[in-house]
Amino acid sequence: MRSDVIKMYKDVHTWTGIVCGLALFIAFYAGALTMFKAPLERWASAPSVFGELSPLENVPVLVEQVLARYPEAGQGYQIVVQPSAQYPARMSWELPREDADEHHPPQLMHADLDAEGELVVARAAHSPLPQLVDELHEQVGLLLPHEVAMPIMGMIALLYGLALVSGCVVLLPTLVQDLFALRIGHNLKRMWLDVHNLLGVFSLPFHLVMAFTAVIFAFHDQIYAAQEQLAIRGSDKPQSAAAPATPAAPAVGAATGVVSGASLAPAALVARLAEQQPDFIPRRFVYRESPQRGPALVVFGDNPRYAMRSPEGGVAGLDPVSGAIEMTDYMPGMQDAWGATITSFFSLHFGTYGGAPIRWAYFFLGLAGAALFYTGNLLWLESRRTRQRARSAGAVTQRRSVQVMGALTVGVSLGCIAGLSLTIAAAKLLPALVADLELWHAGLYYAVFVGVIAWSFWRGVARAAVELLAFAAAATATIPLVSLLSLWLPGVGWNHADLSVLVDVVALAGSLVLALLARRTARRVRRAPADSLWFIAARAEGDAGDSLVTNA
Amino acid sequence: MSPVRASRRSADAYRYSSRDWLGKASAGLVCGVFLALGAGGLLARFALGGVGRFSLEHQFTMWLVSPLLLAILCACFMFRSGLRAWAWLGAANLLVWGLLLAVP
Repeated sequence: MRSDVIKMYKDVHTWTGIVCGLALFIAFYAGALTMFKAPLERWASAPSVFGELSPLENVPVLVEQVLARYPEAGQGYQIVVQPSAQYPARMSWELPREDADEHHPPQLMHADLDAEGELVVARAAHSPLPQLVDELHEQVGLLLPHEVAMPIMGMIALLYGLALVSGCVVLLPTLVQDLFALRIGHNLKRMWLDVHNLLGVFSLPFHLVMAFTAVIFAFHDQIYAAQEQLAIRGSDKPQSAAAPATPAAPAVGAATGVVSGASLAPAALVARLAEQQPDFIPRRFVYRESPQRGPALVVFGDNPRYAMRSPEGGVAGLDPVSGAIEMTDYMPGMQDAWGATITSFFSLHFGTYGGAPIRWAYFFLGLAGAALFYTGNLLWLESRRTRQRARSAGAVTQRRSVQVMGALTVGVSLGCIAGLSLTIAAAKLLPALVADLELWHAGLYYAVFVGVIAWSFWRGVARAAVELLAFAAAATATIPLVSLLSLWLPGVGWNHADLSVLVDVVALAGSLVLALLARRTARRVRRAPADSLWFIAARAEGDAGDSLVTNA
Repeated sequence: MSPVRASRRSADAYRYSSRDWLGKASAGLVCGVFLALGAGGLLARFALGGVGRFSLEHQFTMWLVSPLLLAILCACFMFRSGLRAWAWLGAANLLVWGLLLAVP
C-alpha cells in the first residue's frame, strides 16, 4: 500500500482516537460492569419485604385483591414467574408518571400474598445504582439530559468507527511482523504500540459491532423520522407483513377482558407455553388494557438456545384466551430471517447469547477496550513528548498539549474507575442515611470523578498516576469491605446468600490488579529518564507551582 | 517521454495527505447520511416492494444506515480533495434520490 495513504490514515486514526478515546474509556468500563447488571442490582438492593413467591395457582386471588384496592392497576400489570431484585413479588404495576420513558422507568408497585394469604403491598425498593452505571455507559459518562447526550455519543461512535478502520489500514502493511510481537524492552513506545495492536486486532470484531450498533442506538429516532419523511415515502400501501409489527405491544384478541379474568390463568399459560416452546423459560407476563387496542398479553423470557433481543430476554405476544403464541417478531427461535437478523444486532451489542461464558467474555472484552483507548492515549503522548537532545543542558519542558492530555488521560480513566467503585460501595450504606438515592449515587460518582481529574492536573502526570492508582485500588476495595462490615456490624447494610457475592469477589480481584499497577507505575517513575512523561524532577519536588512534567 | 507516460507520472505524483480533511470529512458525513438514507429507501421501494411503518423490513433499512455511513466516512479520505469528495458523493446522491423521487 502507498505510504502516503498510510500516513493520511495514521493522521485520521490519531485525531479521531484522541478526540473520542476518553469518552470511550468510560463507556467501555461502565459497559463491562453492565454485563452483570442483575447480580449488581441484587447486591445493591436491600432484602425486600417479600419472601418466596406465592404459588402461581393463587394468582387469580392476588389479582382480584389488588384490583379491589388499587383500581389503577387495571390499566396494566405484570405477573412475575422468576423473581429478581427489580421484580421481587408475584405481581407488579406502574404508578402513573408523566415523564416516564424507556430511560426513566416509572415507579413500580409490588404485591404478593404472604403465607397466611394476606395481601402485602410495597413500593419498588431496588437500588437505582445499576441504572446509573447503565446511563454512564450509554451517555459516555456525560451528565446531560438523554436527548443531548445521545447525539454526542453517536458522533463519538462515528469517530470510533473511523478510528477502528483507519487503525487497521495503518497496521496492515506490517500486520504479519507486528501482530504476534510483544517487544518488551527499552523502547516503551514500541511496547505500548505492540500492546495496542494486539488488543485492537484481536477484539476488532467486537469493536466493529459496538461502533456499528452504538451509531444506531444514538440516532434511531432521527433516522426513522428522516426515512418516514423522505426515503420510504409512498410505501404506505397495505403490506401483509406490516400489520402486527408495533414492538412489544401486539394487539391480540378482541375485547376478551384480560383484566376482568376471562383469560387463561398464569399457571395454565405457563403450561401452554411449555407445550408450544419447550425451551422457552418465561420470566414475567405483561397484561395491558388499552382503550384503542383492547387487552394485550406479552411474555418476556429466555431461550438459552437462541440469541435474545435484550438483557430482558425475548418477547412474544400471546392470545390471552387460548395462550397461543401470536406475535413472534421478537421471540427467540420463532423469528423469520428479518427478525433474527435484527435481533442479532441487539444481542451482539448486549452479549445476550451463549449464556455465562459470553457474559464473561464481554466483560473482559470491555475492559480490554478500555485498555485499548488508554494505551492509544499513551502512544499519542509518547510520540509528542519533547525529547532531551543529546547535548542540550537546559531544561526539557513538555509541550502544553502533552501536559494537559497526560493529566486528562490519567484523571478521566482513574476518576471513572474510582468514582464507580465508591458509588457502588455506597449502595449498602446510603439507604440508611439519605432519601434521594439516585441523586446521591450520581453526586458521589461525579464528585470523585471531578476530584480525581483536578488532583491529576494539580500533581502532574507522574505523581498523580501512582497516587490515583493506589486511590482507585482502595476505592475498589471498599466494595467487599462494605459487605464485610454488613456481616459484622448489626444494622449496617446486608448480604444476600446467592451469586451476588460475585460482585465482592470481582471487586477484590480488581482492587488487587489496580494495586499491582500502582506498584509497577511507582517503579516506572523512579526509573524514568529525565525527558520522560513519567519523570519527577528531584529538585522540583515540593515546588507545587512547577509545571506538570519538567526536568530540572 | 511520451505524453501518456507523462500524464501517468503526474497522476502517480499525487500524494495523499490529511490536509483537506475538513472538506473530505464533511462531504463524507453530510452526503453519507443522505446516501445511506437513500440507499435504504431504494432497498425498501424497489427490492422489498415497500415496507410498513416499523415493520422488521423497515427496521432493517434503518440499521443499514450505520454501516453505509461508516463505510462512506472511512472511504471519503481517498478522494483527492474535499471538492472532489463533495462532487462525487453529491452526484451519487442525485442519482439515488432522483430514482427515489422520480419513479412513482
